[in-house]
Amino acid sequence: MTTATQTSRIAQLPPAVKAVTLPALLIVVWQIWAMTLPETSPAPAPAKVVQSFIELTASGDLVWSTLQSLGRVLAGFCVALVLGLSLGVLMGASRAVRENLDPIIESFRPIAPMAILPIAILWFGTGTPAALTIVAYAAFFPLLVNTVYGVSRVDRQLVRAAQTMGVNRLRTIATVIVPAAVPSVLLGSRLAMGVAWTAIIAAELAVGAKSGGGTSGGIGQMMFVFYAYSIDLNGIVVCMIVVGVIALMIDRLFRVAEHRLLPWRN
Amino acid sequence: MVSLMETRTAKELAEVASESDVDRKAGARYPGSVRAQGRFWQARWFIVVRAFSVFIGIWYLVALWVASPIQMPSPFKVLEALIALGRTGELFDHALISATRLVISLVISTLIAVPLGFLMAMNREANAFIDPIVELLRPISGIAWIPLGLFIFGVGGTLPIFIMAYVAFFPLLLNTIDGVKSIDRKLMSAAETMGVSRSARLLHIAVPAALPSVMVGFRIAFASAWAAIIAAELIGSPSGLGFAIEWYRQLLMSPKVFAFIAMIGAIGYLCDLGLRTLQHKLTPWAEGMGIGQ
Amino acid sequence: MNVATMPSKAQPKLRLRNVSKEYVAPRTGQRTLAVSDFTLDVRAGEFLCIVGPSGCGKSTVLNMIAGLDQPTGGDIEMDGHHVRGPGAERGVMFQDYALFPWKSVRDNVGFGLRHGTPGAGLTAAERNDRVNHFVNMVGLAGAEAKFPHQLSGGMKQRVALARLLANGPDVLLMDEPLGALDAQTRMVLQVELLRIWGEAAEEGDRKTVVFITHGIDEAVFLADRVVVMSSHPGRVSAVIDIDIPRPRRESIRSEPRFGQLTDEIWSLIRDEAYQAIA
Repeated sequence: MTTATQTSRIAQLPPAVKAVTLPALLIVVWQIWAMTLPETSPAPAPAKVVQSFIELTASGDLVWSTLQSLGRVLAGFCVALVLGLSLGVLMGASRAVRENLDPIIESFRPIAPMAILPIAILWFGTGTPAALTIVAYAAFFPLLVNTVYGVSRVDRQLVRAAQTMGVNRLRTIATVIVPAAVPSVLLGSRLAMGVAWTAIIAAELAVGAKSGGGTSGGIGQMMFVFYAYSIDLNGIVVCMIVVGVIALMIDRLFRVAEHRLLPWRN
Repeated sequence: MVSLMETRTAKELAEVASESDVDRKAGARYPGSVRAQGRFWQARWFIVVRAFSVFIGIWYLVALWVASPIQMPSPFKVLEALIALGRTGELFDHALISATRLVISLVISTLIAVPLGFLMAMNREANAFIDPIVELLRPISGIAWIPLGLFIFGVGGTLPIFIMAYVAFFPLLLNTIDGVKSIDRKLMSAAETMGVSRSARLLHIAVPAALPSVMVGFRIAFASAWAAIIAAELIGSPSGLGFAIEWYRQLLMSPKVFAFIAMIGAIGYLCDLGLRTLQHKLTPWAEGMGIGQ
Repeated sequence: MNVATMPSKAQPKLRLRNVSKEYVAPRTGQRTLAVSDFTLDVRAGEFLCIVGPSGCGKSTVLNMIAGLDQPTGGDIEMDGHHVRGPGAERGVMFQDYALFPWKSVRDNVGFGLRHGTPGAGLTAAERNDRVNHFVNMVGLAGAEAKFPHQLSGGMKQRVALARLLANGPDVLLMDEPLGALDAQTRMVLQVELLRIWGEAAEEGDRKTVVFITHGIDEAVFLADRVVVMSSHPGRVSAVIDIDIPRPRRESIRSEPRFGQLTDEIWSLIRDEAYQAIA
């Protein structure tokens, strides 16, 4: 009887309270645990993380590193966009192209972007171009796959409808096939931006780890410096949170774009 | 939908699209796709062989043109390296280490994520409490945990396992929740009217209905984990495939770098093939639910 | 109707001579004869319905007239000219409407005028007028800015009709355009379709219509002539004149002649229809 009333009482809590309970509990426990440690311990604590966040923001380091990483992601994404779209349209439109390129594409797909890093470093050194290559490689596959899907999935009935209205081939591509493929391409872009953001962190971390740090910058590099040189775990946690927030923002931005650009889809 | 697309190849998607198209109108056919059987130059294996021959040919020419064995070793050098590494067993040693870590982390992840997914999908209260923390952690990629993980676990085998288990957790959890939530309520009601007990309903309706989605989640989990392990080993482990490629890069032994990269691709491909076969065997009804391949 | 008093009827609008269509299955190489030895003249200004059991090749015949499919044998002519491919003079209304989901009602109706041959030589204002004219004609005024997904089935059907008419085709090819609608909406739209086709107008001003349907009563209600097809392979099994005077009202459905004609057609396809579901 008591358990029944207890569950119902929990169920009656407002959703916001339910949502906050566990994260808040986690932070409190973390803070208490950290306070039991000696003052010299490098272990991160919520209060110190907040303090670190304020300091890093005030010095401008955090903003600058984030912007640097974002710039690389954007540049790499653009390269992937050009390659993925042009190849995707070709593969989607022509069965012959698709059949011949598919084995090659599919054998590269299971190779993680980070596995390409050593080659990128061999070719371009440890600077921005290597990181860019990783990002472009990572973003390429979701873009390609979704473009191929979008183009090949175009409702043939619509193409036929256009033909019966005396619309020529070129015009049909522009007015039927391209708009029909846009939703898939946007979806591919969202997925691609997600993996690109992960890839840049990995690339910066690794380039930092393997080249002694300080050369390339970016938020991944910043994390590595915190780990390897200044042993500032609070700073690392700040970076992790920023990485998460940016990932979330990228995702939301693309979802909004999908919503806005495709009013016919809702 | 998104998850499906992540597990399908471009070609499959294109074919699915064109086939459903053919179905809808008897009149809709692709004039170019009419082919007689038995001609070897139209067979799948021949197309694959031809594509790879062309690819290797281009690679060889590029290698000649670059003329730097460090930057671009020729395909034959890489093959030599592959054979040499295979002979000494180094190739398989590293691969085995990585694969073992992969299996351990996937087992851990599955044991936590799948039951949790069932709980969150079937109990609204549990979902209300747990979902926010999942959504808070999910945007933080596994890669971003590496520096902190390095500090906690040190350089070694635990870090890659932690990172992979973390990365695999989310797709498994979300797909399990999706699968359980997608269970047709009418099936549950139908079973109830037949007097089927609650536990039997769980076992014979909920589990089979959710399994296709869980399998899709598992394949995504594998793919993400296999991508993450390379990063984790490259940065924070003294062994494994990710370590090996970076180690030989530093030694400027490019053919061996390429050989290990090929190994990474081969294992990833074969495992996915295995998972797909398992998926077909384990959940042959998936296609009828719209969760194909 | 007295054929002898009609002067320029010597040449039919559409002429199908021994048309056949064979499909080859891509993988097995198996051949299926979908349509065989299909011969038919369609007179100018005539409303012709084609009925037949499912899978009898009705749509294939329509697609071949449209130029979307090529016959494997025989010949199709329009106004004495061999039909080579799709063209705006033969407008098609598709079964599932084939509306562009990313275009508003107005842009769907104006699609052919804007991107295709029917709009050649028209100014933007003229195009606009024409779009408005047909949007009003089908009763869609006020819904111009809506997207197809915001419309009911009946409204989508009206958009498709307006789009078809806006391109000013000579021949209207309609592939079960009312098939997806509920029974009431369908009856309302049948009457409206006849009005828009110009039932009340002079016969010479009417467009030629080839209308595919599986509804026998629909065919009898709409058509001047009904072509009954049989299947495996698809061929003409009978051509029935519908001698019910125009303009036709809802009330004709209860007249004895209407019942006679429906029964006659039903008796022609009944056996095959039963076979098809057995």
